[in-house]
Amino acid sequence: MQNVHAVTFVQAILLALLQGVSELFPVSSLGHTILVPALFHWSVNRRDPTFLAFIVVLHLGTALALVIFYRREWIALARALIASVVRGRMSGARDERIAWLLVVGTIPVGILGVFLESAVRNLFGSAAFASLFLMINALIMFAGEFLRRRQHEARGKQYKHLEAMTWTQSIAVGFAQSLALLPGISRSGASIVAGLAIDLDHEDAAHYSFLLATPVIGAAALLEIPRLWAPGTHVIALQAVIGCLVAGIAAYASVAFLTRYFQRNDLRPFGWYCLAFGALCLYLFYKGAIA
Amino acid sequence: MKYLALVIAIVCFAIAILYLFGVISWFAADPTHKHHVGHFALFLVLGVLALIWLRFAWRAP
Repeated sequence: MQNVHAVTFVQAILLALLQGVSELFPVSSLGHTILVPALFHWSVNRRDPTFLAFIVVLHLGTALALVIFYRREWIALARALIASVVRGRMSGARDERIAWLLVVGTIPVGILGVFLESAVRNLFGSAAFASLFLMINALIMFAGEFLRRRQHEARGKQYKHLEAMTWTQSIAVGFAQSLALLPGISRSGASIVAGLAIDLDHEDAAHYSFLLATPVIGAAALLEIPRLWAPGTHVIALQAVIGCLVAGIAAYASVAFLTRYFQRNDLRPFGWYCLAFGALCLYLFYKGAIA
Repeated sequence: MKYLALVIAIVCFAIAILYLFGVISWFAADPTHKHHVGHFALFLVLGVLALIWLRFAWRAP
């Protein structure tokens, strides 16, 4: 009976909404998928094969939404990448440069993710650590914004274009993204702050962060696809289909909103949210209200 | 650079095969598993990238 009740319809829709939104908003999807079920006392077994299969489907929905949103850009980047490989030489074109920056930036999170993800989740996959890291995530975003303002005071508003990033800077952003292995640290938050640190403006930093997130989320989901055929997963097939759709729609709406939001705004509101939610969850954890 | 890229490519492909057949299980989530597909895929991709680097190095003036 454990499998049958792995995820109810209401839980499926709420978890899908949560995944679709929090994967792209700089508030940590992993942290929220630990804290929200703990807050509502959902008896979801996070190691249950049916639940893991359900999470894979949510990630697939999110990755597909990102690919669809940036479809024209991905086609141009893929064409430029293939053309440079066929040619055996870099032409210096913008799309080609960005495509290779994305490849280079994905390597650190690929290596660290494959080697450390399981160990990190086993060590830090509790509500207490997720709350604590959510507060650290807030401090990272505040620090990023503070340093950005100091840069402006020191040398005015000088921004770099995406294609002007160096390979080292791309690797640095990739390493920053790897911090998201810790539940509570946001992938987009860390990579946007790293983007700001190398003189990108908020819009370009967020744009690069979303592009960089797509292959990582997609590859992580694809590698876990065999879980969909695990015994017993058929009982959540309908929840999974609905969850995939809801996560995809939520992710599409989120990226559409955030690309507009970062044209004029910064990370601080998300920082305040993470600080407040993390502190609340930590307080409830010590009071024994959440496990 | 050409030879470095070639050596890295060969090493990556060798490690990928060792992970695929479960000969090595370093940092695997379940070391008792027969195949470590995630690690295999990672080293396969790194090997392909090293081959692309080799091609770029070969065509460099």
